[in-house]
Amino acid sequence: MEGEILKGHLDMIVLAALTAGPAHGYAVIEAIRRRSAGAFDLPEGTIYPVLHRLEQAGLLASRWVTAESGRRRRVYTMTRRGARALAARRAVWEQLCEAIGGLLKGSRPCQNPT
Amino acid sequence: MPESDVIAAYVARLAGALAFDPSLARCVRREVEDHLWEAVAAHPTGDRLEAERRAVAHFGDPQVLAAQFAAASLAKRARRVGVAAVVMIAAVFLVMKARLTWYAVMQGPAVDQMGALGAIVSAIDRYAFWLSGYVGLAGWVYIDSRRIPVAFTREYRGQLRRFVLLCSVAAGALIASVLSDGVLTSLRLVGTRWSLDVLMPLVSMAIEVVCVGGLVVSIRGMTQRTASTGRAARMG
Repeated sequence: MEGEILKGHLDMIVLAALTAGPAHGYAVIEAIRRRSAGAFDLPEGTIYPVLHRLEQAGLLASRWVTAESGRRRRVYTMTRRGARALAARRAVWEQLCEAIGGLLKGSRPCQNPT
Repeated sequence: MPESDVIAAYVARLAGALAFDPSLARCVRREVEDHLWEAVAAHPTGDRLEAERRAVAHFGDPQVLAAQFAAASLAKRARRVGVAAVVMIAAVFLVMKARLTWYAVMQGPAVDQMGALGAIVSAIDRYAFWLSGYVGLAGWVYIDSRRIPVAFTREYRGQLRRFVLLCSVAAGALIASVLSDGVLTSLRLVGTRWSLDVLMPLVSMAIEVVCVGGLVVSIRGMTQRTASTGRAARMG
């Protein structure tokens, strides 16, 4: 999928990936890949500025834990405010999908005029 | 290159690109290092070096990532400066009130005993301080109500410019207020013999000067950060 289109929806994608429960960055990326059936394949690092920004906005909270490997790991959790924001974005998205679907319904693929 | 150096070199490059915010750089470095090692472990191949290179390649360009972090980091800094402005102005207010209470307790000369100069300077002090308070508060509310940007856009740069302008006006008015306080304090203390009673007004003036200095330094740091973030965003 086009990277630029994806970037406009990254906040919603990341919030949606965290609905299943707390996760660290790598697990968030894996959840996005799995749940989108591989359609969203951004550079993995792209997710971290989004996670930090969402935390700064109060939509996520984070804590450091020690992983089984012994490394320190940052785990993100969606806050109530984050859940409300996701619900609002989902409603907007569904309206948009319906509107675009209505526009495209019955339209034909562009044909070469020559 | 030995195996582990691929990831170490990558996180070092990323931390270097995030040098504009050392605490963010340390935090991201730890987080990304964990991510990359997990990516290597999740795709075991015979060639570990190749797995590390692949993990790093999938992660993205450090400069591009730094540019994405920069906008959010700057937003955080701007909000801190907004809070600092309000706190400094409130601190100056409390110190002024404490000094006036001290004069009342020690039965020092009132402003109306200082003649026309005292009255004019006192009026400047009062109006400058309230201007500083209202504008500083407006600056804080303004920057706190902006959305944290995804990127360092022209729109966000404009918002920061307006915020810095508000903070600068607040700082300028606060400087005028503190200078007026200095004049009033001098008028009150002129001819007074050195004693512990003089210490309180002097210490309170010193605190006011430190508050104003702190505000000016934080605004200056903010403008420098904005410039360096703009450069980082262009590189990204």
